Amino acid sequence: MTTEAQAAAPREHPWRMPANWWTRNRRYFLYVVREFTVVPIAAWLLWMLLEIKRADGGPAHYYPPSSTAFVVFSVIVLLFSLYHSFTFLSLAGVIIHVKVLDRPVPSRLIVLSQFALWAVASVVVGFVLIWFAR
Amino acid sequence: MSIRKDVLPIDGEVGRRPGGARRVAYPHLIYWFLFAQGGVVAALLVPVHVLIQGILGPLGIVPVVDRHYDTWVAMLGNPIVKLYLLVLIAVPFFHIAHRVRYLLTDFGVKSAKSLPAQIISYGGAVVITLITIWVLLTTVPIKLG
Repeated sequence: MTTEAQAAAPREHPWRMPANWWTRNRRYFLYVVREFTVVPIAAWLLWMLLEIKRADGGPAHYYPPSSTAFVVFSVIVLLFSLYHSFTFLSLAGVIIHVKVLDRPVPSRLIVLSQFALWAVASVVVGFVLIWFAR
Repeated sequence: MSIRKDVLPIDGEVGRRPGGARRVAYPHLIYWFLFAQGGVVAALLVPVHVLIQGILGPLGIVPVVDRHYDTWVAMLGNPIVKLYLLVLIAVPFFHIAHRVRYLLTDFGVKSAKSLPAQIISYGGAVVITLITIWVLLTTVPIKLG
């Protein structure tokens, strides 16, 4: 390429997203936190799978987790999973469109129904986990 | 109210075949169903398990089924519980796979959009589903009644 051609050729300046883009704005940060919530949830579900598998070893080899590290891990997972629940169920008002008697159900009512469903599911599961331990 | 012709409906049709016939994107339909259900299961069921099995049980605040071998095995032998645990553990991974892949994309990992990345992430969810089925079927025999 000649010097003239080099001068005439457009110079490329590819735009790159700065690595810290998500720390510059509160909404971006909360978006990344929302997306990240699945990582601790995945870790806890894999632990639960191991907990089920450990029952295979017989009563002599079975011991429930009791360490402080496990409780701390669970507290961290709980905070992330609550954030996932809150953000995911809140979205229902935007995603779900239902008509009753040809009238659209208000999005607030849809969100409220999702949170009510969450409460009912939590009570039922909690009851089973505790009641059958007797 | 008129429907804009240039906006594709979300009820299954996302395009047309060369001849003009409607093309239903079944893989999209199946995947988005699994993604949405994974999010729902994680939202509705995971927090109570973490709270009770991960915090209140180990701290001795409440009795929990997995704190004793006998109660845990009795619970795991129930076929409905096995089915529930399959849904609880496996289905969220279809949601997790998608979110992790897009989180990596947002952080500038271009290869996260590639076909191998899709195979690894969604294939990983399928593998975890198969492992969960295997664990549930081999750990405690199913007891009816």
